[in-house]
Amino acid sequence: MVIRDCMKSNVVSVPSTTTILEAATVFVERHVGILPVVDESGKPIGVIRMGDLLTLELPDFVHLVQDLDFVHDFGAVETTRPSRQLLLQPVTTLMKPIQAIEETSGLLRAYARMLQDNLYDLPVVDASGKLVGVVSRVDIGAAVLSLWSSKDKK
Amino acid sequence: MNLPALLAAIVFLISLVLIFTEKLHRTIVGVAGAALMVLLGRILGFYSESEAIAAIDFNTLGLLLGMMILVSLLEPTGFFQYLAVWAGRMSKGKPVRLLILLGTVTTLVSMFLDNVTTVVLIAPITILISEILGINPAPLLMTEAILSDTGGVATLVGDPPNVLIGSAAGLSFLDFILYAMPIVVAAWVVALFLLRFLFRRELAVRPKKIKAIMQLNPAEALNDRQTARRVLIVLGAAILFFFVEHLLEISPAFVALSAAALALVWVKPDVKKMLERIEWSVLLFFAALFVMVGGLQASGALTSVIRLIETIDQLPPALFGVLIIWVVAGLSAVVDNVPITIAMIPVILGLGADGIPTAPLWWALAFGAGFGGNGTIIGSTANIVVATLSEKTHTPITAKLWNKRGLPVMLATCAAASLLYILAYPLYLR
Repeated sequence: MVIRDCMKSNVVSVPSTTTILEAATVFVERHVGILPVVDESGKPIGVIRMGDLLTLELPDFVHLVQDLDFVHDFGAVETTRPSRQLLLQPVTTLMKPIQAIEETSGLLRAYARMLQDNLYDLPVVDASGKLVGVVSRVDIGAAVLSLWSSKDKK
Repeated sequence: MNLPALLAAIVFLISLVLIFTEKLHRTIVGVAGAALMVLLGRILGFYSESEAIAAIDFNTLGLLLGMMILVSLLEPTGFFQYLAVWAGRMSKGKPVRLLILLGTVTTLVSMFLDNVTTVVLIAPITILISEILGINPAPLLMTEAILSDTGGVATLVGDPPNVLIGSAAGLSFLDFILYAMPIVVAAWVVALFLLRFLFRRELAVRPKKIKAIMQLNPAEALNDRQTARRVLIVLGAAILFFFVEHLLEISPAFVALSAAALALVWVKPDVKKMLERIEWSVLLFFAALFVMVGGLQASGALTSVIRLIETIDQLPPALFGVLIIWVVAGLSAVVDNVPITIAMIPVILGLGADGIPTAPLWWALAFGAGFGGNGTIIGSTANIVVATLSEKTHTPITAKLWNKRGLPVMLATCAAASLLYILAYPLYLR
């Protein structure tokens, strides 16, 4: 089994003119973890991850204090929303370069890449570099574990 | 001024400018400057290698190292976080009370332990408390840096210039408690009231999420209760010995290093990790500066400065001390106060050799070096630490903000210190 066999091939992408707020709506409606950003010709120019949006809401102390056991209630942090002005910025301000995996890659190789780069979703490309799908840790994990009970050991 | 004096002065001044502009790390500047000074000394024959080694004040280095080891053992226990969380709870979410409590805790700890470490560990919890309350952390962070720097002047071990002055002038821990602490306490109170006034608008907000603050559990912030208890017992014993060091005829360095040894034996830490937390760059910087200023002295450059001071020394002695407070404070606001102090020490010793009573001048140097750092965002390492941390928040502390809120505090503390200095002058003559 390779990545092509477990990826989601109906890729949801957003144009580069999308605002952060609009992208958030797409994340909510489509229940995905990653959105490729495409230019007018449909060519992917980067990706935006759900985590990048969540970081906007995360308090600063999370990066400064290692052990948060003693904090039982995040108080005002839980109800602080990012400013309207920030949400109306184009997604390109948060966009990251594409780190893609080839559709012919093995499952564990792809999973190891995710672990090392601390990613949860990867865009999948074909031999010509064209975006053909996205794959998540859960997609790969489910595919790998399914092989344990399967008689057909590909 | 002869050639060796001129060249030595140039090396020292260029080093100061490089430290000021931060083009190079101060330790690199120090080591390079020290090497250059010894090289000049050997070529022109004014400074030998053995003189350079002798110029290093090992009492200062030993005291700093001993205290750094104690801090490095205490750091991972969560003790500092415990104190900050405790202060947060005690404040019941009231911003003014939070400012006073966090400022006081930071000051009390930094009177005995390195204030940079104290601020590095308390500032993140301060940001946490502020964000949970939904208030601006900048006033609290600036107050912590300014009050800990101010309070540190009260004890021999409170800040590096005091360690240097105590060692050079033979002043004991008790001398600092008797002669510096009263004035420092007054200046500290002035600083606190002024900060409370300057930040009155930021502190006027009423946080809504007070319940969340009361949910913070200090005991859970203390990761290693046993180690914390052991190090604090040793630290307490060390402080008691500091009080009687002059009676026992032992040096503060001996007390600090013995305490460090005892704590190491008792705690048995992972040595490699413990040593990583020691600020070797600071120790190296000090050693290099001693070598550099030793060369400056051997070259005769400082003698010229001493003669110059003596010709303008028509002032009443108390006013001359006040002048030292302000000149040193002005310099310390823009350059690191350690090189200023190390350079001033031989000057004051020289004045003493010429029969001028120096006892009061040491205190003027301590006040100027200590309070001067409050004036600018780069005035002290603690200031730089809180400013850097605040850059990661939504309300970063800018140089402009510091000039508006920190500079008045520096001027007020120096003014308070000057006034009390004049009143206390007869006592300083002993």
